[in-house]
Amino acid sequence: MAKLPDKKGRFGIYGGKFAPETLMAPIAELEYAYFTTGTSRQFHKELDYYLRNYAGRPTSLYYAENFSKEIGCKVFLKREDLAFTGAHKINNTIGQVLLAKKMGKTRVIAETGAGQHGVATATAAALFKLECEIYMGEIDMQRQALNVYRMRLLGARVNCVSSGSRTLKDAINEALRDWISNFKTTHYVIGSVVGFHPFPVMVRDFQSVIGKETRRQILKMEKRLPDYLVACVGGGSNSIGLFHPFYNDKNVKFIGVEAAGKGLDTDYHSATLCKGTPGILHGSFSYVLQDKNGQIHPTHSISAGLDYPGTGPEHSFYKDTKRAEYYAVNDQQVLNAFHVLSEKEGIIPALESAHAIAYLVENKKRFNPDDIVVVCLSGRGDKDVNEVARIEGVQL
Amino acid sequence: MSIKQKFKLLAQEKRAGLIIYVTAGYPDINFTEDFVQRLQEVGVDFIEIGVPFSDPVADGPVIQACSQKALENKVNLESIFNLCDRLKSKLSIPYLLMSYYNPVYQYGLEKFARDCAETNVSGAIIPDLPFEESAQFRAQLKKFSIDQILFISSTTSSERRKKILKVATGFIYYIAVYGVTGTRDFLPEETYQDVARLRDQATIPVAVGFGISNRQQILRLKTCADGIIIGSFVMKEIMAGHYTYLLDTLKEFHRILKNPDEKF
Repeated sequence: MAKLPDKKGRFGIYGGKFAPETLMAPIAELEYAYFTTGTSRQFHKELDYYLRNYAGRPTSLYYAENFSKEIGCKVFLKREDLAFTGAHKINNTIGQVLLAKKMGKTRVIAETGAGQHGVATATAAALFKLECEIYMGEIDMQRQALNVYRMRLLGARVNCVSSGSRTLKDAINEALRDWISNFKTTHYVIGSVVGFHPFPVMVRDFQSVIGKETRRQILKMEKRLPDYLVACVGGGSNSIGLFHPFYNDKNVKFIGVEAAGKGLDTDYHSATLCKGTPGILHGSFSYVLQDKNGQIHPTHSISAGLDYPGTGPEHSFYKDTKRAEYYAVNDQQVLNAFHVLSEKEGIIPALESAHAIAYLVENKKRFNPDDIVVVCLSGRGDKDVNEVARIEGVQL
Repeated sequence: MSIKQKFKLLAQEKRAGLIIYVTAGYPDINFTEDFVQRLQEVGVDFIEIGVPFSDPVADGPVIQACSQKALENKVNLESIFNLCDRLKSKLSIPYLLMSYYNPVYQYGLEKFARDCAETNVSGAIIPDLPFEESAQFRAQLKKFSIDQILFISSTTSSERRKKILKVATGFIYYIAVYGVTGTRDFLPEETYQDVARLRDQATIPVAVGFGISNRQQILRLKTCADGIIIGSFVMKEIMAGHYTYLLDTLKEFHRILKNPDEKF
């Protein structure tokens, strides 16, 4: 098995660098910085220091006994919700912002959907003393108002994006436009395994800490590898982070869960791998939700973090080579799972992560009592409490 | 007329060419059809017909807004090729298509190239398809003698420039500013020097675009560039309905390019 991606940033046919010419130089600069400094032993020593002492890693792998009984197999939760700032996003932002600092950049920018990546970027920027500006869709700013305020508390400027569908996709467009104008001083901290090479591989590497820890932890606890890994997929960073270190363990099955929104047969979903077709969006060739003219579809999901019409090129490669299976669960199933996990385990999951939980709740029959299933609980649900209350008509 | 032939004529006239961008279908496709003919009448040398895209990351607010409106009008490559087919008998100057890559990719690279040839489109400009990713597309275009216009920016390294110049046909699209499309009052000083250097190095013409909107810029560029590309300024005036002012301004730009005595 050749190492992926190749030098051109391709995972099979997917990936690449579909960038405007002006960005080719900053991309080359980043590529050089990442593959020399960013992968060096010295850099990783420093990164490990911050992940351990600042971000609270390793996160625990928790045997969810009550939930396991509900599903009928052994379910372990990889507790990324316990990572600092409440989600896995911090793994990537500490890595990228530390690298930006070493590249001599004085400013970082980022897009955010649910606000978790924005908060994590603002946090790392404060830690490493860099200026920080976040782009967020107008609709997401409304449904994730708490995170907007958190970012501001951390000293970041939050820019409201009111173009296009006013969600994550448009926030990425605006961040890219900023980067084209300001790359001399600025690093663009992409929040998922998307974008042009080397972003998908760099973000994957920083998020692989999830899978590497899981592997060590499950071997210690159960003396064997899991049968299934389950994670939600929007852009796909927590899932790739969990899956990738198990890539060569062919008996470990990967299950990616997308957002079916109001249903896969409606126009209101974000299930790119289930329903999309290959195309070019945000710098890479990957599955995309689009019409026959190649225009990108608006998307819908109850969770702002999955509300995206593209996905990482490595996921597209996993799909075509059947290394991973991809399914989708709808908003109702997600809300149900949100309650189930809260009540059974006392853990309120992020709506994004609740998609992974929902897959188990909806597919109990698939799993045998001896099966070991690891679910990436990518984030905590505090940020979603207001939104869930609103949807369910509860006055707070 | 091919791009090469047109630049040959311009070289005989010893002047730079005026290249005007319009978003197809803004405010509607009939307007575009009529307006490009007006552009030809005031002395424009090339037309760049913009294919709207939902996520135009290299474009500023003006072209974003025009693209969105054109998409609402259901403009797509099929209707744009129909437009180009009608323009065959109406335009004697070369016209090119400018599109993000995904609409072209979904249309089919070969079909796109064939339809360009059948409707007299002389070149394709794809802002998110850099040299490294474009071999397959260029091969299709070459089969039908269509130029792929490649970009060079001030950030493009000399090594990359060499590779790009080796395969480029038609002209080089030099990006005058860091950033997205949209008018700027001034271009960076280094732009003028870099364009002059690039022109010495290149065996095909060099046209400069992004940020150009005023007389001072034209006066300076006319001595160092083979072509001057104007887009956002044009669309901004179309949006405002200032058609006469726009055409008069372009006529004036054309006059400046024709008059060797008028200097910065």
